Amino acid sequence: MNSPDPVARLRVLAAGLRAPLYAEARIALPFDQVWAVIADLEGELPHLISFVREFRVPPGDSERKAAQAVDVLGLRGPFDVRLSPGWCLMQSRLVTMGMAAAPDGTGTRLAVCGAARPAALGPVQRVYRSLLGRRRTRAFFREVERRAALR
Amino acid sequence: MDPASRNPPGPQQPAPDALHRRARRRSRYGVAAMDDDVRPWDAAAPLVRAAQSGDALAMDDLLKLVTPYVTRLCAPIAPDDTADAVQESLLAVFRGLRGLRDPQAFYGWVRAVTVREAVRVARRSASETPADPEEIVRLRDLLPGIGGELSVEVRDLLARLPLRHRTVLVLRELEGMDERATAELIGVPEGTVKSRLSRARSSFRKAWTR
Repeated sequence: MNSPDPVARLRVLAAGLRAPLYAEARIALPFDQVWAVIADLEGELPHLISFVREFRVPPGDSERKAAQAVDVLGLRGPFDVRLSPGWCLMQSRLVTMGMAAAPDGTGTRLAVCGAARPAALGPVQRVYRSLLGRRRTRAFFREVERRAALR
Repeated sequence: MDPASRNPPGPQQPAPDALHRRARRRSRYGVAAMDDDVRPWDAAAPLVRAAQSGDALAMDDLLKLVTPYVTRLCAPIAPDDTADAVQESLLAVFRGLRGLRDPQAFYGWVRAVTVREAVRVARRSASETPADPEEIVRLRDLLPGIGGELSVEVRDLLARLPLRHRTVLVLRELEGMDERATAELIGVPEGTVKSRLSRARSSFRKAWTR
């Protein structure tokens, strides 16, 4: 085993980041169908995360991209994005967000992680936790499943 | 032949080829100008510093960099639960990363954490199964005369050794550590390491010639 599966990898990162938010769920849809939703960051992220109003991602298949987020709090800014099958890690000056997925039988295990950057700990971390608490993660998983089912 | 000299991926030289290739690819953390002489622990140091400051991308790079090394340590110590041992080790490493004062000491520290976690996971397992043949092949010098050929029997012999013997064999013969460093790492006196090593080698040879 030279690389853990993406969900295990995100679990390790969440531990390292001491992320206030980490959750996993099983979605009863095939991996390709679920990941198609996650990978469509520009089209889907504003539907999945309520405070992201717009997420502009340059076109192309590159695994490393520089995206631009516009959110309702006005915390707009550039994001470094790393995207590959089963793995999405996005980081701005203030926040980090990760999503990972792996096939789980006929379904998909999906994980999501969110953390504030340490330089901005404190108020931002609390805001982030309130924005993406347990209720929000359940809503996130439900919305991924709903939008994947439409594909 | 001195085990340390025939085993380059020791404490100071983990998986040099793979790490060198990755080191040369990096530019984000100020190591773009590295040439072929770059040492893996130098490549890790800027990533460690960035990861300690909460840079998730650096942390991910560091995770990819160190996973093969952690896997190589875990496979012979916990052959029946390698995936669990690797995951537990990586979790422990990254949970504790911010407490690491000297980034240059990263690999030595990773090794200590990994061996501790791998032994803990292996102790949970009731069964003993053969280790990865690729790991066992590096123990061939314990058996003069068998050359490069390794059989299922050799794998089985190693896997049947008690965990405490397997651990010292891995650290001494695969990692090229001396008795003192091995003793410090597994938390027993140096004399205990020597006697365990002697018994492990003896058991291995006797079982082989039977």
